Amino acid sequence: MALVVALVVATGASLALGAVKLPIGEVIDILLGRGGSAPNHQIVEALRLPRTVEALAVGAALGVAGAVLQGALANPLASPDVIGVTGGAGFGAILILIAFPAQIALVPVAALCFGLLAAALVFGFAWSGRNRGSTGKIVLAGIAMLSLFTAATTGLLASFPERAPSALFFIAGGLTNAGWEGLRTTWPYFAVGGLLAALLIRPLDRLALGDDVAASLGSRPQLIRLGAGISAALLAAAAAAIAGLLGFLGLVVPHVVRMAGGTSSQTFVVPASAIGGAALLAGADTLARTVRAPIELPVGPFMVILGVPVFLWLLRKAV
Amino acid sequence: MTMAALLEARGVTVSIDGTEIVREADLDLAAGELVAIVGPNGAGKSTLVRAVAGLQRPSAGAVSWSGRDLRRMRGRELARARAFVPQRMPVPAGVSVREAVTIGRSALLRPLGRMTGADREGIDRAIGRAGVDAFAERPLATLSGGELQRVQIAIGLAQEAPVLIADEPTSQLDLGAAIDVAGLLRRLVDEGLGALIVVHDLALAAAVADRVVVVHDGRTEATGAPATVLDRERLTRVWGADAHLSAADGRTALHVAWLGRGTEKGHFFKPSVRGGR
Repeated sequence: MALVVALVVATGASLALGAVKLPIGEVIDILLGRGGSAPNHQIVEALRLPRTVEALAVGAALGVAGAVLQGALANPLASPDVIGVTGGAGFGAILILIAFPAQIALVPVAALCFGLLAAALVFGFAWSGRNRGSTGKIVLAGIAMLSLFTAATTGLLASFPERAPSALFFIAGGLTNAGWEGLRTTWPYFAVGGLLAALLIRPLDRLALGDDVAASLGSRPQLIRLGAGISAALLAAAAAAIAGLLGFLGLVVPHVVRMAGGTSSQTFVVPASAIGGAALLAGADTLARTVRAPIELPVGPFMVILGVPVFLWLLRKAV
Repeated sequence: MTMAALLEARGVTVSIDGTEIVREADLDLAAGELVAIVGPNGAGKSTLVRAVAGLQRPSAGAVSWSGRDLRRMRGRELARARAFVPQRMPVPAGVSVREAVTIGRSALLRPLGRMTGADREGIDRAIGRAGVDAFAERPLATLSGGELQRVQIAIGLAQEAPVLIADEPTSQLDLGAAIDVAGLLRRLVDEGLGALIVVHDLALAAAVADRVVVVHDGRTEATGAPATVLDRERLTRVWGADAHLSAADGRTALHVAWLGRGTEKGHFFKPSVRGGR
């Protein structure tokens, strides 16, 4: 309930606040097509609305990706980083920004492709040989892949130091005023990843009682983990394509939701992580572009700096 | 005990990493029958029950549940055929007993299907039959080993399968809790359930089981009434123990020469005898 209120407030603030402050009443009028002045119309429809929707989609996607992975791998450290998506997406984007700066429009596509490629490699390795599909194998393959792509990214940046600044915004993570462009290419990935996550809620609850109980209940533990990995890879790669590397959100939101809700039941954690992630990113993005307006702070570091104390405070209270 | 066979396993062989753990094992189970699988450590007991339950793929042999080939069974059909109760399940934080049993029941739902009133009744029934009503609203993390074992059985009962398979349900429990769980399983079987239980405690097996199956070196080498199958000769050959079972008035005991050869008069040992070994 508190989460839904936070979501509504964050969405309202995100639409109304910015370099130009609009009264919330006028925002609602504009959205309902009942008037408002022409320039404000322009601000809301071309800038604020797409940016807010992006923040909500990216925040929800990362929250769900983290929740699904932590559930599937029974590992509190799991996040889209751990299956290599973040590393791959970062490499893809930086590759375009540094090696093909003229093709800047390809950044989201490259982030998406390399993010999914990295995840595919992780699952390819984790599903081969003995003990295939075990948690340990997935996590280790993921960390290896993350290191590989991070090293490649760092190598690129070091080779072309004069072009590194253009890559910084992507690495820091943040939303832009690019209108509906980002969502137009990525929405199918959000949709499929989200639907898969919804289908996985019950199987993940079974998996929480152990592989044996899950198997007793007719589920296949390895298949659940594979499905969770695919869902998280789609969601996180699409999120990275739009907003750069915001891995912290995927790691922390499910934990906050579990600690605040007092249960690790996925029926609660997965939807609550979606709402919480959306509210957090929309709220943080609003703050990031208002505190020093008209300068926009990158939302990634901004969110981490504000988020870590809250997280540590919750951690201290948790069992 | 002449009811229709719920489980029929023939020639089951399981290889793990090239090593044959179970070799051409046979296993049967009927409704209202409690069968105890006994044998030394590493004999292949757990692997055998995991294979017939569909948790481990056999490399050869045939397993059928109520006449249906295990290899063709998936998802809800498998959940409805048998419930598997592991030795000890992990305990997710903040999940209550009732929520855990609800997860068990969810095995009967279609993907994204909703719980109906019948499902909620099924959950209540499972909680009642397993005798966990007194702590149904408590978080799993606060339960004792014995209570948790009963909850695991309740999760299995929520599947409404005619067979419950339990892997060493009592081996981590104290005496009182073990009596509790053994009594619960026996009661459920008397109500018509079929149960397949891996046990180490031969005295317990002799007390609760209708039949024992001895697994030795991956083979099912004997099956029958506990008193006949668990004779002195077999205890020596299979377990390397100088021991015998006794049963009277519903009490069973395993008399073991713990420190080697016992004397005829039943002294445990004499220092001189022990020194002379």
